[in-house]
Amino acid sequence: MERIWLLAKTDFKQRYYESALGMVWALINPMFRLLIYYFVFTVIFESKIPNYALYLFSGLLLWMFFQEATKGSMLILRKKSYLIENIQSNKLDIYVSFILANLFGLLFNFVVYFLLSLVFSISYSWTVLFFPLLLLNLAILVFAVSLLLSTIHIHLKDIDHIWSMVLIVIFWTSPIFYGRAIIFEKLPLLLYVNPMAGIMINVREVLINANQPDYFNFFYDFFYAFVLLAVSLVFFNKNIHKAAEKR
Amino acid sequence: MSRNSKTVLRLENVSKTFTIRDRNADSIRDKVFNVFNPTNKRVIRAVKDVSLEIKRGEFFGVIGRNGCGKSTLLQLMAGVYPPDKGGKAMIDGRFIRLSLGLGFNKDLTARENIYINASILGLTLKKIGRKFDEIIEMSELADFVDTKIKYYSRGMRSKLAFAIAIHAEADILLMDEFFGGVGDEKFRKKSDEIFQRSFLDGRTIVHVSHNLSTIKKYCDRVILLDKGECIALDKPEIVLDIYENLMK
Repeated sequence: MERIWLLAKTDFKQRYYESALGMVWALINPMFRLLIYYFVFTVIFESKIPNYALYLFSGLLLWMFFQEATKGSMLILRKKSYLIENIQSNKLDIYVSFILANLFGLLFNFVVYFLLSLVFSISYSWTVLFFPLLLLNLAILVFAVSLLLSTIHIHLKDIDHIWSMVLIVIFWTSPIFYGRAIIFEKLPLLLYVNPMAGIMINVREVLINANQPDYFNFFYDFFYAFVLLAVSLVFFNKNIHKAAEKR
Repeated sequence: MSRNSKTVLRLENVSKTFTIRDRNADSIRDKVFNVFNPTNKRVIRAVKDVSLEIKRGEFFGVIGRNGCGKSTLLQLMAGVYPPDKGGKAMIDGRFIRLSLGLGFNKDLTARENIYINASILGLTLKKIGRKFDEIIEMSELADFVDTKIKYYSRGMRSKLAFAIAIHAEADILLMDEFFGGVGDEKFRKKSDEIFQRSFLDGRTIVHVSHNLSTIKKYCDRVILLDKGECIALDKPEIVLDIYENLMK
């Protein structure tokens, strides 16, 4: 546990302390996106969602975490080979710590989100306690996807490009800038296929609307993440020993 | 060293075959093209049917000509590569592989690398904190603790790696051409002393080297590889003779 923490801390530091603006970059990027999307969807498409800035911001933050963590962890076996090939190590520790480092960045951004929500005078109820659970669900999902992608990457380097395209599909099928109603009415099947959709809907319910989450989605998405994790772990453990010679 | 101590490293009929393609065939494009052109493939048998057992506390040497499979053998021991079917490689204990320029993240400082390496070896942060000064002292890098490894010279890196391996309580040191060129006279003397002491500590060392005098001086047993095969495995005096004949 201590080891995971240490690795995560170092990863995080390395990512942000290098540049002149440091941590500020972790914030500028999502803020920049937020401004663009906000302009497009309020001025051009005239979205009717209440508290749209917060709606968009929370969605974008969750999305960017998913995107960056999965893309980055796919290359872990290569990037951290200096550790993996020289010291007897538990490879899963390295994955968990990488995701944890990304999670620090997400939490940092959510601090800004909460400050912003005070400006919008959002009131929270006890249901906000679901928020950490939803983040946990997301982190497990990211862990599972990372292991899966890494394993495929051992045999097929093209997965890098393929995943970039899959990410576009997930981006457009997740309710980041459009409302949940569209999914519930037109594409309810999506909730079963893309767990990001259910997680995002529930995060907005507990953070913005002070409602309870949609319990079916809540449990289904946990179930989805755990099943995927179990499959990925088996797949990963079966193939990991081939990593060095295929590199 | 007691003769009846525990086996910490065992290779049973271990072979390693590499299939080398001139182009990397792990992309879809190459897989498709290789359907029509499957011949640009070469099979290299780097290690052939090696069996050995290393006991706890033993100082084990590996010698042979360039390209005879020494480093591959070490990587098989470390589990970096899986052996071919039918072979078994077993290592029991915390090991660290020391080889020039490996083992560090070059973008991190010495301090960070020490913490990461030692932590992965299984030390608690508290314990690393206590050992930290010893590691720095031994590697003689007190003035560069917070300097990134990428600005270190080769010698400095090797000294640091060696100091970590010794103080972070690795049970098994897999050294790849490591000792021959490490550090100046002063540091070499220091590591000489440590090599003597490490017998008492019950640590196991596998030492790949061209430096025959070190092999002669320290090793309990030596394996001689040629073209991936084990030609001799015995006391250094005997094996070194065979090696010298082979080189003629």
